Amino acid sequence: MTAFWHAHKSTLTTFLLLLPALIGFFGLFCYPMLLTIVLSFRPEGQTVGWTVENYTRFLADPDGQWVILLTFILSLGATALSVLLSVPLALILREKVSGHRFYRLMVIIPLVIPGLIGALGLLLFWGPRGWFNLFLLQVVPFVQRPVAVNYTIHGLIMFYVWLYFPYTCVTTMSALESLDRSIEEAGAVSGADRWQVLRYIVLPLITPGILAGSVLTFMAAFGAFSVPLIAGGNYRPLAVEIYKEISIPIPAHWSAASAIAMVMGVLQVGFLALYMRFVRRGGSAGGVQ
Amino acid sequence: MRLRRLAAIVFLVATIALAFPVLAPAGAPTELVIADSQSGANFQAYWQKYVIPAVKQSLGVNLKYLVSSDAEQIQKTKAWKPGQGDVHILFPKSIATWVSSGVPLETLTTSNVPNSAKIDPKFLKSDEGVDLQGKAVLYWRTSYALIHNSQYIKNPPKSWKEFYDRRAEFKGHIGLIRPDAKSSSAWRQRLVFLHAFLKEKMTLPMEQLAKDPAFQDAWNKLKDFTTYAKLPLASEPPNLFEDFNAGDTWIALYAQDYSLWSARQGTMPPTIRATYPEEGADEIGTGYLAVPANISPEYKEVALKVVNYLLSDDQQIRLITTMWQYPGTEITDQVPAIAWEMVPKLDVLTKTAIPRERVRKDMIDYIKGHAKELIP
Repeated sequence: MTAFWHAHKSTLTTFLLLLPALIGFFGLFCYPMLLTIVLSFRPEGQTVGWTVENYTRFLADPDGQWVILLTFILSLGATALSVLLSVPLALILREKVSGHRFYRLMVIIPLVIPGLIGALGLLLFWGPRGWFNLFLLQVVPFVQRPVAVNYTIHGLIMFYVWLYFPYTCVTTMSALESLDRSIEEAGAVSGADRWQVLRYIVLPLITPGILAGSVLTFMAAFGAFSVPLIAGGNYRPLAVEIYKEISIPIPAHWSAASAIAMVMGVLQVGFLALYMRFVRRGGSAGGVQ
Repeated sequence: MRLRRLAAIVFLVATIALAFPVLAPAGAPTELVIADSQSGANFQAYWQKYVIPAVKQSLGVNLKYLVSSDAEQIQKTKAWKPGQGDVHILFPKSIATWVSSGVPLETLTTSNVPNSAKIDPKFLKSDEGVDLQGKAVLYWRTSYALIHNSQYIKNPPKSWKEFYDRRAEFKGHIGLIRPDAKSSSAWRQRLVFLHAFLKEKMTLPMEQLAKDPAFQDAWNKLKDFTTYAKLPLASEPPNLFEDFNAGDTWIALYAQDYSLWSARQGTMPPTIRATYPEEGADEIGTGYLAVPANISPEYKEVALKVVNYLLSDDQQIRLITTMWQYPGTEITDQVPAIAWEMVPKLDVLTKTAIPRERVRKDMIDYIKGHAKELIP
């Protein structure tokens, strides 16, 4: 035994050090994932037998197709808007304007507020008698009736942006602040105006940072649950559909829910793979031209 | 040498300190745990703010209020230890689960809980079809009601039929929770509506009932009624409350106690009032107090004192004036008249309550299964 220990001391030590992580990985990730896959192919309520009906029923149902499309609309819309909001904000905060520390803190506030609380707050703020509409009705002359934000697709995208844009913004700010200012100065000395410096130097160099952050925003928005549950009205994306299958029927439709979860996972991973490919191409094509 | 002597003294003191709880005679416990597996946020706040300080002041007992579940408490009580649950708030069906799970509950009588004499004896015998055998005492009663904002509705409908006939008057302002929501109000709102048009027929087997022309008519009425609701339908109760606050929703069937408590807390308009339609608003929900029989005698003695105190007139009146829940004891005549301006008297509730056997699982499943038809 002692000889065996001395012969394999290094390997065994490595294995023992890795063991807690391996147990965690297999117990908390692989096992639930495997169980979900198996359940998704089980006939509803059965512990034996195999079927693809759970998938075909959901994917062939027009409602199921709409749920998938809606999930993409919401997450892509939120991601695009997050990028559009993050870049100018990062450029402003980079200049260390007065109170910039406060604004930086404000940017990350949505990350520390629970989604459910945030959703309820947003519903109150944007509601027909919320501050937003009260302001419009009292200040803007041509606004005669409250603007509908709550329970609409555009409203939901706005809520997603509020909740998830910090991921994009923080990485964009980080990329921008690590950028060597002398490169921009070199561009300016060479005759480029401010717009050209931004267009041909700054943006290409921070693109990988923007894209990395936007991946996080997309993933979070794709899996969003509490916000659409509370603020979605009739617009209910994949995560809410999964929840519905488990929490509403008695007994719960575990197989149907597992199949939707697998569809969601495959779409998410597939889209992420495409996105990362795009990021790598964007990264290699980026830089000073 | 001095160090060794010091170590010996420390050892001796530590040994005595450790042995003391075993050697000392057991006194009456001053800390008790009440486990609640039934109530919502309103009750949790109520206990922290009113009941716990009152028990401390009156009995000198520190109550710990524990939010739990039946399954967890049953397991804990099987191997009872102090601090895990000495008094329990249970629904009648839970009491049956406890007893069938082999957890003994103390028989509560007027000799160990004197205030239980004020409870209608029928509630001590059975409730919801559960043979209680005196294993618990009635603590509160409650119901759903037609909650309306008196700012917008001066003359609320007195019956479901009237409500249905006047639906155009409330178009876009009737609060309905989505039928596929998690909240029980999702099916309760529909079941109560259907019951108003079906009444005795609600006892028919679901397969037979679904084919009955009266059911088809009631179901079509429900679908039609839904189109007069505030759209989109509220995802969950917080949305319904927000719609009330926004002035979009004026009237809805919802839990009376929670709605009126919320109005007092400022999370619902202060002009909220409750009425009962003549065909009924809900079954009457009941909450019971129980004490496990297998807890130690000294804990049991204090637990019974606490139960008795919770049935005292002061505590029972506070239930209605603060929580808008009806007392478990028969003390209606002592309730301040002002309370009846907010809620109907208990006899109105009793007369209109839907018989429990008509709040059926197969009907609930039918509503959930046909939820899509009820989302405009």
